Amino acid sequence: MEALDQAAPKIRLDGISKEYIVPRTGQRTLAIADVSLDIVQGEFLCIVGPSGCGKSTILNMIAGLAEPSAGTVAMDGAPIRAPGSERGVVFQDYALFPWKTVRENIEFGPRFRSDARLGAAERDKLVRHYIDLVSLTGAEHKYPHELSGGMRQRCAFARALANEPEVLLMDEPFAALDAQTRLILQEELLRIWGEDLPRAERKTVIFITHGIDEAVFLADRVAVMSNHPGRIKTVMDIDLPRPRRESLRATSEFQTLADEIWQLIRREAYEATIDRR
Amino acid sequence: MTARDENGAAVAPGGATPYWPTPLAARIYASIGGLFVYVRAMAVFLVIWHLVSLWIGNPILLPSPIAAAEALVDLTRQGEVFSNVVASLTRLGTSFALAILLGVPLGFAMGLSRNVFAMVDPLIELLRPISGIAWIPLGMFILGVGEALPTAIMFYGAFFPIVINTVVGVRSVNPGLVQAARVLGVGRAHIVRHVIWPAALPNILVGARLGAGAGWMAMVAAELIGAPSGLGFAVEWYRELLMTPSVLAFVFLIGLLGYLFDRLLRWLQRVLTPWAQTQGGAL
Repeated sequence: MEALDQAAPKIRLDGISKEYIVPRTGQRTLAIADVSLDIVQGEFLCIVGPSGCGKSTILNMIAGLAEPSAGTVAMDGAPIRAPGSERGVVFQDYALFPWKTVRENIEFGPRFRSDARLGAAERDKLVRHYIDLVSLTGAEHKYPHELSGGMRQRCAFARALANEPEVLLMDEPFAALDAQTRLILQEELLRIWGEDLPRAERKTVIFITHGIDEAVFLADRVAVMSNHPGRIKTVMDIDLPRPRRESLRATSEFQTLADEIWQLIRREAYEATIDRR
Repeated sequence: MTARDENGAAVAPGGATPYWPTPLAARIYASIGGLFVYVRAMAVFLVIWHLVSLWIGNPILLPSPIAAAEALVDLTRQGEVFSNVVASLTRLGTSFALAILLGVPLGFAMGLSRNVFAMVDPLIELLRPISGIAWIPLGMFILGVGEALPTAIMFYGAFFPIVINTVVGVRSVNPGLVQAARVLGVGRAHIVRHVIWPAALPNILVGARLGAGAGWMAMVAAELIGAPSGLGFAVEWYRELLMTPSVLAFVFLIGLLGYLFDRLLRWLQRVLTPWAQTQGGAL
């Protein structure tokens, strides 16, 4: 690992909490309590935890779609107040525009964002590049409803990338896919992210998942969350070598790390599943 | 990706198609089959109509379908049909265009802004249940007999379904799509133009269809008493002359043209919103 701790954080979560007030009863619910976390440039961070622990809320706050009740979220030292093109998001349900083709979806950010002034020719080159990168060549003119789940996912990924963000936020992007497609796309994601690039040239990725194997396979660090209220229990370093390939999953190091994380969230995962509250 | 068909449609490799039935032949057979079902239903209806007219035995009360068809042919030959059809369709076109031009922007404003909605909605909810026909007597005072009255009454009928379905369309835009545009750094104006507008369009078109239907129905009532021409006027004219076959011929035309206009709008729905799978609507 290249000195993770020395670099200034790309994203800093500083003591953030999120409180909801239930409209009918006026009851206050603490969804997230005092979460602090630094994410450095080029890092791939996974957040795992039982369902309902506020993983997505944290991601929405970094995206600028939600505000913390207390604490600050900052990027490069500046507080985040609104969504911005420097932070790209891949949503769990992909959120592709159904009336736009694959190509038009991918082109959406570069074409319509407020600070975008690319010429048509440059934009065309850019879009073509990302279509090729996610292997959607030949499907450019299809509409989202004509695509398979895996293709939709890759289209959503390309849409986020084509906007050239510095930070990529991914909210359980593979959750809706079948197991085989998921495994293939995990490797694809690492390839596109640029595993063999130096850290300074990689994008910073924050990846939410409830798949422990997925987190261990992808991440530099895994933040394990607990429930009621959501807090970060532990942050584990994943010291597995890159580039990572399918065979890694069978190694004992991989299994040990995955099991450690499972032991950490096991009790709460049970509680969340079997008796909620 | 490999050359597999993502749509699940059967695209045989090498373009091998079965010899029989060829796609064209299959389509022709399907449409002949559809036509047969249609003709059979109509035939049953016409036979019953004919029998009932024989039983009543009074051509002023109920002429036979043959007499009505003859009347339709005569009226077409004399050109009387065309002048009335043109008069009615012109009014439909004018009032429908006005209802779209005013209703869609108003619906958009109401859907986007809570303040506008709070100001306008109570008025709309009060006026909406009042049938356009209820305004005809007052309309005759103000507008007199002529073009303005039926056009205004048809506009009134078409306006509310269009406004309300536009509001529903704008409000039911998937918030995830708006968020997706926001995180790409896209501004409000582009979001309205490229996300909210296409997302609301299927509902707007449903509103347009309902509005056209309501306008067309209001037309007949308005023309019966408030116009010097048009299909409704012709119906009333031939009633006074006790020429019931001609009355029925015009009633048939009202149904036929209303149906064709709806088919036109349905075709527009398919062309403009090919991604929309289902066509539900409010109201």
